[in-house]
Amino acid sequence: MPAIFPRWTNKIPLAIGVLAPLALAGAVGGIWYYFSPKFTDAGYRPRQPVPFSHKLHAGDMGMDCRYCHNTVERAAHAAIPPAQTCMNCHSLVKTESPKLKLVRDSYTTDEPIPWVRVHQLPDYAFFDHRPHLAAGVGCSSCHGRIDQMTIVEMDQPLSMGWCLDCHRDPEPSLRPRDQITNMLWDPAVDGKNYDAAKDPSRTRQVNPPEHCSGCHR
Amino acid sequence: MSRSTATTFLVLSLAGCVAGVAGCQGNRSEEPPVHLIQNMDFQSRYDAQEENPFFQPVDCANALNHDCKGRAARAPVPGTVAVGFLKDDDELHRGRGADGRLFDRLPSSIPLTPALLDRGQQRYNIYCQPCHDESGGGKGIATLRGGGFKVQPANLQDPRLRAMPLAYFYDVIVNGKGTMLSYAAQIPVKDRWAIAAWVRTLQAARTPSEGK
Repeated sequence: MPAIFPRWTNKIPLAIGVLAPLALAGAVGGIWYYFSPKFTDAGYRPRQPVPFSHKLHAGDMGMDCRYCHNTVERAAHAAIPPAQTCMNCHSLVKTESPKLKLVRDSYTTDEPIPWVRVHQLPDYAFFDHRPHLAAGVGCSSCHGRIDQMTIVEMDQPLSMGWCLDCHRDPEPSLRPRDQITNMLWDPAVDGKNYDAAKDPSRTRQVNPPEHCSGCHR
Repeated sequence: MSRSTATTFLVLSLAGCVAGVAGCQGNRSEEPPVHLIQNMDFQSRYDAQEENPFFQPVDCANALNHDCKGRAARAPVPGTVAVGFLKDDDELHRGRGADGRLFDRLPSSIPLTPALLDRGQQRYNIYCQPCHDESGGGKGIATLRGGGFKVQPANLQDPRLRAMPLAYFYDVIVNGKGTMLSYAAQIPVKDRWAIAAWVRTLQAARTPSEGK
């Protein structure tokens, strides 16, 4: 009587024993790597309706971030400026540029420019710019070197784990509060000589919340 | 090639294919982020400056409250003022005394302190320096690029402007002047006065005989 199972089936348990852990490790590793906001979100660089260059304005010309994003110290939301802010200068310089046509039209007709949002938190996370700036977290800590970006991209994953990395250990991300918009302030270099705990201009200690309702309501 | 080598090769090349198709973390992409699990990422409410498709068809020429072309933001109904936003203090909000003229001092609710001047310097360097330059000479970086301004910004060291009352600078920030547009939307009231005080400080610093 021939065997019901051919001889090679003897290796099935061994193959399962070897391949199943491999497949499992592959699945876990794949999800860890590819489902992370470091993969899904960071690097998002949409094309904008007006080719505004932060590299030119914030980098080469050295304009302060708050010239345009002027609500950032007073409100949760760092506002995208109205067309009038652009027209402060562009009613006098590059007035005929075709790249600025949408801006001029928006200024005269009141129609919004359809900017594409780059940094979009989930609606259940209530991020507020105010306390972060008051604590002395620099713009570049979260947004990267905007002054080198011709097209703005998402530099950091803005995931909850990434938030908590800093909330659990804020010291390395703090800088003198008059340097928050300084893109050239380098935590790895300038940060070595700065100790937030010894900064006389700080009236209270930075104590970022780690409880749920700190960010979720 | 033995079977185990073949298996290893297969697994590695599969992993390579996945990585090749999917790319690496931080790769630049113009495609919006894909969230596999969207638990309430997008809720039915509007955040600041978000889009409301309900108002998408509204033409801005006919819009009452700014609510056109998909804006979610509402402007106050014309003719109404929110509680606490009535600018009824002529001294603070318009820089005018009882005689209706611009005065040459700070409003009484804003004392002159070193902190005010620090604030004024900082705010001046954010909002004014791009055109008027750091010392008020009117040769800011914005006027030096892209072919230059059609009309040069005012030189704040000009004798005509040195003779102006302090509130004049507040007034120009609020209402603009000539080709300069209003900065009222960008600079809050107290900061405007701080900037005006800093402009006067810059002028005094360039005055050889009568330092302040």
